[in-house]
Amino acid sequence: MTTTLITSTEPSRPGRQGGARRPDARPNVALRDALSIAGVWLLLSVPTTIVRPDFLSTQTLLAITFTMSISGVLAVAQALVVISGGLLDLSLPVALVLSAWAAVAALTSGLPTWAAVILGILAGAAWGSLNGLIVVFGKLNPIIVTLATGFGGLAVMLIFFKSAQIPSTSDLRLFGLGRFLGLPNVFWPMVALIVLTGLALTYTRWGRHLVAVGGNPRAARARGISLRRTRFFVFLGAGAIAGAAGVLFSAVNPSFTPASGAGFQLIVIAAVILAGISLSGGKGNLLVLLLSVGFLATIPASIAFFGLAPAWALVFQGALLILAVGIDGYRLKRSAR
Amino acid sequence: MKPFHHAKRAAIGIASFAAAGVLLAGCSTVGAAAPAESDDDTFTVGFAVGGQPDADWQELQGDVAAGLAEQRGWDFVELSNDNSEATATKNADVFIQKGVDVVMMFNGQPSANPVIAKKYAEADIPVITFDIAQEGWYFVGVDNAAAGTDGGTKLGELADEKWDCKVDLVISAEGTSAGQINEWRTGNARDAVKSACPDIPEDAYVSYEADGNLTTSLANAPGVFAAHPDAKNILVVGINDQAVVGALQAATQLGRDGSIMGWGQDGGLITGDNVDPNLVGSVMYFLEGYPAFAYQIADEIAAGNAPEVKDTGDDAAVSVTPCPVTKDEAAAIPSIDDRVAQLADAPEGTTEYDLFCTT
Repeated sequence: MTTTLITSTEPSRPGRQGGARRPDARPNVALRDALSIAGVWLLLSVPTTIVRPDFLSTQTLLAITFTMSISGVLAVAQALVVISGGLLDLSLPVALVLSAWAAVAALTSGLPTWAAVILGILAGAAWGSLNGLIVVFGKLNPIIVTLATGFGGLAVMLIFFKSAQIPSTSDLRLFGLGRFLGLPNVFWPMVALIVLTGLALTYTRWGRHLVAVGGNPRAARARGISLRRTRFFVFLGAGAIAGAAGVLFSAVNPSFTPASGAGFQLIVIAAVILAGISLSGGKGNLLVLLLSVGFLATIPASIAFFGLAPAWALVFQGALLILAVGIDGYRLKRSAR
Repeated sequence: MKPFHHAKRAAIGIASFAAAGVLLAGCSTVGAAAPAESDDDTFTVGFAVGGQPDADWQELQGDVAAGLAEQRGWDFVELSNDNSEATATKNADVFIQKGVDVVMMFNGQPSANPVIAKKYAEADIPVITFDIAQEGWYFVGVDNAAAGTDGGTKLGELADEKWDCKVDLVISAEGTSAGQINEWRTGNARDAVKSACPDIPEDAYVSYEADGNLTTSLANAPGVFAAHPDAKNILVVGINDQAVVGALQAATQLGRDGSIMGWGQDGGLITGDNVDPNLVGSVMYFLEGYPAFAYQIADEIAAGNAPEVKDTGDDAAVSVTPCPVTKDEAAAIPSIDDRVAQLADAPEGTTEYDLFCTT
């Protein structure tokens, strides 16, 4: 079950001998996915550059890296759930806003920045734990559970706050407005998370268990891996990562409401599926995910450079999700042959 | 024994469903000051608040309406539509059963409105609707066309004053799903900027999808700034304050906030401690004060002189006058709770526009 950062993790199929795999299969799949995304990205970027040569500028780079920051972190959380065979976590937007709210509440009550950051991440982890407990011990469909907890969480937040505003002079807010190496500060934690989570998936026992449970639960159980424990910690970890996204979200959004995370749902699911992270679980590569998030963040910029009507953004987003699901279905059929 | 168990289970099941039904029915009401069925001569207002959870002003509309009914010595029944088509439909049955003389409502889920309208028409009860038009109902709503023009005019005047109308880019943060309202607010604002500064070239006007919220606006606006790298003096108009502030924040992220001014709509983010430094003004609607306008119609109905039904945004029964305010002027306007309290103490016929719009 060894994988690398640019190696798609494809566990054994039932027909194969206990976890054995073709040695060259995974790198090829990862490379193919990466090349596919890069190709589509080029298809978008080249015509835009031909029409508007100033597309290739530091302003565009700033715009794209800023746009992909929060959705990139959320996509990592979603990817973990999907790879582990947990289908999808539809409550991530709620985890995001809950964590942002916790961080802002901490800052507003005078706690130091580090405490606010930790509280935000812990709020996300607690939310993930709640989902994990219900899914694992209730043996319920994760999509239904997270859909329900998402509605419930939103309702609870609406009871307790209408809108939240980060103190404008707080260190966290100043971090959200700053830059490092010419790119937005909030971009770098996203890159770090993708790299670290990718390494964790590859080189830690937790990561290998996660992939194994998602790819072939029966085989994983036969190898002594606890499905319950692994799936619970996946939801907990995904929640904590969504918590980190929430902290970053609070740093760049001066004001937000309980429903502010809704806009991320579609883009995050599309990013995960476009990256070749199959909804059937056990397969995924986080560097391809980075490419996928970057491609999706380029779309609004491209639309602006083409000067298209605003409604085209909605058309593109919907079409992309259909395309992504179609590609996933095609891949599943092909791998079943 | 077996049949007994079945019967017992069935009884418990029926009781549970009945209890749940009662509980659900109870949840849908907000302070139903339920009088007896209106068989006396006292004029009765049925008021359904929208019940959207993140909108304080909807609940406050109920408070304002209750105060105005009390001022007139009328009976008042308040329900909440709970932002649900089913509840709004059920509320219509309740109002009809209580025999109210007029219904006022905000229904944020208007797909059930044709069905509800049929019920009220059969019961011969006039309906006053806020902001969402329905054939046969008196329409009370903000004059969105005027709101767009007012905001654009003020922003254009500021551009003239500060930059001598040397504007490189006019960004419109749209909410296309709002349809005609979006066009009135953003399109008219652009036209008004054009009138104030006619020399701004046509290609300096650009639009993007902000979906009426800060998060989407902040995600999509950076591309707009990147696509206009040479623009220095920048104006932003939008469907609401959130959309405009999203663009202003994106400008800050890209280091393009040196010379930018935004004018919002709805006044949502123009007050408080964290007003964006580049949001120079907004157009306030005083949504919580709409009942004061609706009572102008109710007064005539109560007097037996029901006015002609005007049921569209273009030809409203009562058009709520928008109030454009600069950031400094907005700071002097009381909080929403204080506004409601002051309106309750004001003489009959007073609106929040009369009380708080000094521009």
